[in-house]
Amino acid sequence: MTDDVMISLENVSKSYRGQKAPAVEDVSMTIRRGEIVVLVGPSGCGKTTTMKMINRLIEPGSGRITVDGADVTSLDATELRRRIGYVIQQVGLFPHMSVATNVGLVPKMLGWDRRRIDARVDELLDLVGLEPGQFRNRLPRQLSGGQQQRVGVIRALAADPPVMLMDEPFGATDPLTRDRLQNEFLRLQEKLQKTIVFVTHDFDEAIKMGTRIAVLGEQSRILQFDTPERLLAAPADTTVAQFIGAGASLKQLNLRRVEAIEYDEAQLVRSDESPATVLRRLDESGDWAVLTVDGEQRPLRWVGPRDLSPDQSNLDGVGLPVTTVEARATLHDALDAMLTSSCGATVVVDDAGRYRGVVGIDRLMRVISEMRETERSRDRGVTEAPYRPPVTPNLDAATNPGGSR
Amino acid sequence: MRTTASRDAETLAPPSRWRTVLRSHSAMPVVLAVVLLAMYLWVNSLQLDEIERRVLNPDTLLRMLGQHLKLTAVTTVIVVIVAVGAGILLTRPALRWLAPAATGLANIGQATPAIGLLVLLTIWLGIGFTTALIGLVAYALLPVLQNTIVGLNQVDRKLIEAGHGIGMSPLAVLTRVELPLAVPVILAGVRTALVLTVGVATLATFINAGGLGGLIVTGIKLQRTPVLVTGAVLTAALALLLDWLGGVITELFRPRGLD
Repeated sequence: MTDDVMISLENVSKSYRGQKAPAVEDVSMTIRRGEIVVLVGPSGCGKTTTMKMINRLIEPGSGRITVDGADVTSLDATELRRRIGYVIQQVGLFPHMSVATNVGLVPKMLGWDRRRIDARVDELLDLVGLEPGQFRNRLPRQLSGGQQQRVGVIRALAADPPVMLMDEPFGATDPLTRDRLQNEFLRLQEKLQKTIVFVTHDFDEAIKMGTRIAVLGEQSRILQFDTPERLLAAPADTTVAQFIGAGASLKQLNLRRVEAIEYDEAQLVRSDESPATVLRRLDESGDWAVLTVDGEQRPLRWVGPRDLSPDQSNLDGVGLPVTTVEARATLHDALDAMLTSSCGATVVVDDAGRYRGVVGIDRLMRVISEMRETERSRDRGVTEAPYRPPVTPNLDAATNPGGSR
Repeated sequence: MRTTASRDAETLAPPSRWRTVLRSHSAMPVVLAVVLLAMYLWVNSLQLDEIERRVLNPDTLLRMLGQHLKLTAVTTVIVVIVAVGAGILLTRPALRWLAPAATGLANIGQATPAIGLLVLLTIWLGIGFTTALIGLVAYALLPVLQNTIVGLNQVDRKLIEAGHGIGMSPLAVLTRVELPLAVPVILAGVRTALVLTVGVATLATFINAGGLGGLIVTGIKLQRTPVLVTGAVLTAALALLLDWLGGVITELFRPRGLD
């Protein structure tokens, strides 16, 4: 377990001269190798201060911070920072240096030779989809906001540091770009497996990015430190519940993929069969409708008894159109598809569009209540979280997370 | 791809920065040349007497111009070293609190009438080049010091923090981020100091340190208008020329990506 710990904070506090209340008071937390820990909280709660103490942009007041086993105060601050990638809100690219110079700064300080730096810069530009030949020599102001942000991220990655600190890295971009950057970054992280401390005030971003989320209150006090699932299912107290905001259940649906749940089965009928076959199959199964498919098992329409008249000879164009989702889609997408299809069910298909199963609204409801149940019971039997006293979930908040307003 | 890349390289790092700068700054040298030529023709057309001829000859003029340039150049070099150095120190976190006191001190240097300052220094140090130099340095220090401090302080704190954050040493942050981004403001200060120095250096003649001031003083004392006019025009032309040069240099050294 100890091998797993990449960053640990033990009773860390920070006060500034002339301020009565400490900015950060007695924070303890351990961050495991390869996880994204999101520090989320209202503005001014000390989350950025907490993060900056890890790379000593702000000197820790008291307590102990270790990175990869070494006490940060025992290392030279500059050396320490070269081993920790750093991405800040307004990107922080140096406006008078080209993209390549910006990205190559840390490798250069580490004494890499020029060819190796150039190769690394090109590799990184490729990694975030910026054509090196086109972007290498550009100046930051010649890039769009999203492109600047990508360069900011790869600058932090340049020397392949095991740890990255990100301070609202996608805060300055429009919602669409932000969404794309988040997805890109998550895909990158799957490959890179960095240990990341990510600061944001946007709870939805926290849910999306975090392996675990620390909800912080005043003076960086940890209100709850948990996986997104458990946070949503069982907020520790009303403050956390309020911070999660309305629609916690809906947000929860974003956390589970369709492939992770069991599918229902539908009666499949090829579209070139006769209406009589359909009626027979409906009788046998007791279902409300059959699913017509083409020769490749691709779903076409839902056909119920009322769609059929005795004089029909084939099934062309009868019934309700289906909506489909891929197995990788989230339950949120599935719910959306169900609501669109107006028949309370959606068909799960594979990459080629072939039938895999059906997810109905009843199934979804069952999954949601199961999820909530398991998270809550796991939460009561908390054993592996020494950083947080066991919490008796506030009943109001737990039975109706965030929905009390 | 090739074509895009080469076109980008061209638009992004214009190789002809020199040419564009010189083209946009070509008026001043032309004007100065015309003025100097007009003055030369005018002086040439006059019947000069013995006194005038003793001063208005190429040897004497070049010697005085040389002295003047030397005073200006040495002053500028010292001022840049001292004031930029002090400005850097006074913007470091540890010494920041000293900045108001230091600019106050430099302010005294500039607020004191130049001639008074020179006389006071002479009483203390005697006449000569060194005394003149010290006076000029004291006089020209403020604009450079102030602009260095302002220039360094106006660099976006976020960029400085980003520099530290990615592991640049404090020295690297200073030389690679702060100074390059402060260069336009610092150079504007140097330019002001340069022009000030050219003007004030005319007073050096009172303490026997030479310079174009000699022409002006002679012209006034002996009521020789051609000598007075030559001295004044040469001084003004030198000041304008150096100001022009300062402008060109500022333009050339302005960091890319800010214009």
